[in-house]
Amino acid sequence: MKPAAFEYHAPRTVDDALALLDAHGDDAKVLAGGQSLVPLMNMRLARPGVVVDINRVAALDYLTLGGGALRIGALCRQRTVERSALAAEHCPLLRDAVRLVGHVQIRNRGTVVGSLAHADPAAEMTAALTLLGGEVTATGPGGERTIPADELFVSYLTTSLDPRELITEARFPVLPAGAGWSWTEIARRHGDFALVGVGVVLTVRGGVIADARIALTGVGPTPVRAARAERALVGAAPGDARWGEAAEAVRAEIEPDDDIHASAAYRRHVAGVLTQRALAEAHGRAREAA
Amino acid sequence: MAVRKVTLRINGKTYTGRAEPRKLLTDFIREDCGLTGTHVGCEHGVCGACTILLDGEAVRSCLLFAVQAEGAELATVEGLADGDRLHPIQQAYQDHHALQCGFCTPGFLMTTLALLRDTPQLTETEIREALAGNLCRCTGYQHIVAAVAAAAEALASGAHPDAYPPFARPAGHAASRRRTADPARKERERSAANDRRTSGAASKRRPRQS
Amino acid sequence: MKLEGTQTLPAPVETVWESINDPETLRRCTPGLKELSATGPDAYAATLTIGIAAVKGTYKGTLTLSEKRASTHLKIVLEGTGGPGFMKGEGVVDLEPQDEGTLVKWTGDIQVGGLMAGVGQRMLGGVGKMLIGQFFKCLEQHLGTGA
Repeated sequence: MKPAAFEYHAPRTVDDALALLDAHGDDAKVLAGGQSLVPLMNMRLARPGVVVDINRVAALDYLTLGGGALRIGALCRQRTVERSALAAEHCPLLRDAVRLVGHVQIRNRGTVVGSLAHADPAAEMTAALTLLGGEVTATGPGGERTIPADELFVSYLTTSLDPRELITEARFPVLPAGAGWSWTEIARRHGDFALVGVGVVLTVRGGVIADARIALTGVGPTPVRAARAERALVGAAPGDARWGEAAEAVRAEIEPDDDIHASAAYRRHVAGVLTQRALAEAHGRAREAA
Repeated sequence: MAVRKVTLRINGKTYTGRAEPRKLLTDFIREDCGLTGTHVGCEHGVCGACTILLDGEAVRSCLLFAVQAEGAELATVEGLADGDRLHPIQQAYQDHHALQCGFCTPGFLMTTLALLRDTPQLTETEIREALAGNLCRCTGYQHIVAAVAAAAEALASGAHPDAYPPFARPAGHAASRRRTADPARKERERSAANDRRTSGAASKRRPRQS
Repeated sequence: MKLEGTQTLPAPVETVWESINDPETLRRCTPGLKELSATGPDAYAATLTIGIAAVKGTYKGTLTLSEKRASTHLKIVLEGTGGPGFMKGEGVVDLEPQDEGTLVKWTGDIQVGGLMAGVGQRMLGGVGKMLIGQFFKCLEQHLGTGA
């Protein structure tokens, strides 16, 4: 299976990349890691007339810490985050989630930002951004704008980006001091898309849950924050009974679909199980916050 | 679409060809460079038969266009053996009957090469997870796992100092090969390189490129 | 992939019935329907470009209406083949009056084959529901403005 013909450009600066996107609009696709785009092109399910390869825009390849967040440039490979001491220290949840993205060969090329822009409903990176309350900078003909996670992911494979915009940076807030975290997912084989994935961040203060964040992937067109379950946890004493209640709350909140990999009922059940496990693990890691 | 000249290095040797932008790297390696050891399986990034090393990292060559590899350092299965002398990893695969039809084998070998280079000691679970991106229809995987474990032992023994030739090692940050005078970028690179140096075991095992 | 749902529309059953039998309305409200030309009573040749984000395919096929019981029941079958494979959507619609409007009960069966299925099977149910939702939203707007 070979892709259809296209015009190829490999700009070296962000401005040049944007000029190309502006000129070609939705006939152009950005090529970064290519781990989602190129399979679609090989199968001719996607046939962009113009490919804007940003792999030569060196200025986009960075991973730094600033403003209380991990700042990840558009070209930063998933493997870089996986191996990063900064990520391990300041945002181990992201590190744990990125490890489960596909396989090593995919992570060596695939980018975190690319995964966000692709917005697969079972992706880890989109759920991690949602869980941590992160945001992206999108740059386009009108300049730069900041898009928070809950405004970025609109539906299956659909973001609120304009075709002429490029996400140049993603920011994942660091975990609060003493917070516990957990990322857990279930898939039929290691490296498959998750049937359901759950991420949790938990802060405990004075023996009571001060903050709880729960996000799921694979249970809808976009990542889901289990807001009702979160609210019920805040102010409560941590413990197995609490995790069980949260699991039920999550089951009541989500509306997963049937597909050939798993039924809605299975997804609903598993979402609860994973929520319970993730909360227990996060609690085990949490240290009393100051 | 205009045909372009593509120059790259494979197994330490320079190759030049002409390709349309849509030509996949797999096809360029096989057709334009004459190296047919890299196999075409699924062409959508699932089977791993096309795995090669690009600038030292295992990648799916079916998900790269040849033009993207301009100036890159590739390693393919043809670079493993030294004449008639099998690479220790190949020897382990042979000794442990880790191939039958051999179609998936080049991909497995390249994945194994990068794996053992970066993680010389690993558990069976770690081996299985690391190989999860390569599919085999013949063997049922047991012998492959055994071969990788045996190869790890053989390589750890120190008896094979040249097991990882320069073209099979990461050349450092790809951007560092392009010298530009942007101080902000250099600062980011420096801190990213610092980050990599402190990022655990992998960087300690990687020989310093001068 | 079987789906079902209900929808209320702000118009009496007879008006809703006319709408969903009207080729103009079908052309306007069926997502991705590019061409619709009559080939016989209740039968049309159709060209459909359907997909999500960058993943799109063009299918050529037919749209047929059958099992017609005026103002009550209708079956719509839309099927086509194209580069990405084949697709077939069968929808059964039942109408009943509800207050001043109409209650629509629909069931659907969507099948996709070929490459599109290999990639899109995971999202078929969700995307299918979304597209059916778009159809009814368009219909609602159309009826709301007074057909």
